[in-house]
Amino acid sequence: MNTGKTICPPFGVKGFNIKRVFTAAPLMFGLAYFAPVAQAADCGAVTIASMNWASAELLAEVDKFVLQNGYGCDASIVLGDTVPTLTSMAEKGKPDVAPESWTSLRPPITVQNIQEGKLMIASKAFADGGVQGIYVPKFIVEQNPEIKTIADAIKHPELFPDPEEPSKGAWSAGQQGWGGTIIASQYYKAFKAKDAGFNLVDTGSAAGHDGSLIHAYERKKGWIGYYWGPTSLLGKYEMVRLPAGVPYDEAEWNRCNKVEKCPDPKPNEWPSDEVNTIVTKSFADRAGPAYKYLATRSWPNAVVSRMLAWMADNQATGEDGAKQFLKKHPEVWSSWVDPAVAEKINAAL
Amino acid sequence: MSWFQDFPQMDEDALRGLKQVIDEAFRTFTRSYGEGIEGFFAPLQKFLLLSERFMTQTPWPIIVLIILGIAWAASRSIKVVLGALVALLAIGYFGMWDDSMRTISMIFVCTVMSIVIGLPIGIMMAGSERMQRVVNPVLDVMQTMPSFVYLIPVVMLLGIGRVPGLIAVVIYAIPPMIRMTNLGIRLVDRDVLEAADAFGSSRWQKLRNVQLPLALPTIMAGINQTIMMALAMVVIASMIGVQGLGQPVLKAIANQYFTLGIFNGLAIVGIAIIFDRVSQAYGQRLQKHLEVVHG
Repeated sequence: MNTGKTICPPFGVKGFNIKRVFTAAPLMFGLAYFAPVAQAADCGAVTIASMNWASAELLAEVDKFVLQNGYGCDASIVLGDTVPTLTSMAEKGKPDVAPESWTSLRPPITVQNIQEGKLMIASKAFADGGVQGIYVPKFIVEQNPEIKTIADAIKHPELFPDPEEPSKGAWSAGQQGWGGTIIASQYYKAFKAKDAGFNLVDTGSAAGHDGSLIHAYERKKGWIGYYWGPTSLLGKYEMVRLPAGVPYDEAEWNRCNKVEKCPDPKPNEWPSDEVNTIVTKSFADRAGPAYKYLATRSWPNAVVSRMLAWMADNQATGEDGAKQFLKKHPEVWSSWVDPAVAEKINAAL
Repeated sequence: MSWFQDFPQMDEDALRGLKQVIDEAFRTFTRSYGEGIEGFFAPLQKFLLLSERFMTQTPWPIIVLIILGIAWAASRSIKVVLGALVALLAIGYFGMWDDSMRTISMIFVCTVMSIVIGLPIGIMMAGSERMQRVVNPVLDVMQTMPSFVYLIPVVMLLGIGRVPGLIAVVIYAIPPMIRMTNLGIRLVDRDVLEAADAFGSSRWQKLRNVQLPLALPTIMAGINQTIMMALAMVVIASMIGVQGLGQPVLKAIANQYFTLGIFNGLAIVGIAIIFDRVSQAYGQRLQKHLEVVHG
């Protein structure tokens, strides 16, 4: 699903495919094996789930480094995908921590497990949540200060020329199969973009979507379309998310905005997705200060995007990214831990 | 002995540095020359748009008649013409007419481009051993390099849409055209060439009146292969925003719409069979005609 980029997209429920179901079984067996590991000093053995996209990898590596060096935990990382990981956490009590879990990607069973108290939401992993919406380059907004909402941008198809048909604007909705593409296409209808002179562009693939954005941005031309964050691309290219200009109406959103064939969508604000750190009940009970760290730490989205961009630029792994973050951004993480712990982390760097 | 167990690879920092330098160089190149390169391809874009507009805006019965006419002129076979008619009607009936026309237009332009570029290169290859030694490995690379590897730089340079799609398709589809032209000319009988020399024909006359006509059946086989390979790239091309039958196929893959995928896949197959039978029949007719002359 993810083309190796820094995507953690709430690409709709269709993402729960066979692959995820199959990866669940070996993961659970592997973890059952893990359980009776010798206890280390304070908080014991902690397994942290790293997902297969860049931001989750970064978060997991930072947590591992902090727990290991700051709190004396015996921290290790397991790879997994959202559904098998969360299922295993509820059923087997391992792994202990899932640093990045998107609400819209969460299966109903997990929601139930949270209500039952088997799993606990420790914190908001991203302070601003997972943000999706309609983005334009920052320089467009700076040159045209009257553009404040999507409706304002729709009035200016000439600012977002379609390379195939320069007399019209291009509304880049994304690739087929993304949940976001459906919503962006419904926006196209809701804001009457066609009458305003926009073409609806199917960018074909994640690579094509990013490519069209980069191509326009490097030429200092406008681009308008669906994007989401935190992502490396938003870290590298400054984009501005345009609000819909109307408040979020949940009933209307579910009735029409996210339904592909619905003929009469109305303008509606794109809600942000909460992205949480989830831990098991047993970890929360036994870990004490280590749990307090996970409950306090919350990443500013811009920092995540910037780190992801750094990782992409340097073709770095999550581990490299974690070290770079801890070295370069003490102002961010020092508020997450006690000064004594911060010293220990600094010493380990 | 660590060098014996583990391959003595380049230092990691140096390797990362190397990749960065190349990436950066490419980005600078796009920034400074992208606009110019885009301008260079602008006529091609016009051609693509024109052809697509013709195919999608002409009323369907006229398009069907044109295609059947071409099929008849090339093959002189009622069976081929009837087959083409059935395939086209089925495509239209199942609601894939517009997408199919876009695909046919794209394939048509790609084939024309492949012939325009490939034929001269093939002729040059046939005339010079050194040229053949240089071009052959390049063709090998073009045929085996995974397309996304060069698609992404092309997209960064030219954006998404028809032109980058065309470039990707032509890179993949042109090698058989070049190879078969080369082969066809090389296979022309030496005695015939000697006779042409004896009549005092110039190099140009020899090429135009002797070598190319005699190589034509082989060249036709090359064109046939080029069309087939271009069709095989339809789905890849739609991953960078080329409209046509590839887009519903991608949609079907992403959403597990089994029937949608099968229908559009079959439409691609149908178009491929029409093109293949017609161009093959034409090639065979050429050969028959030549045999009579020789006889």
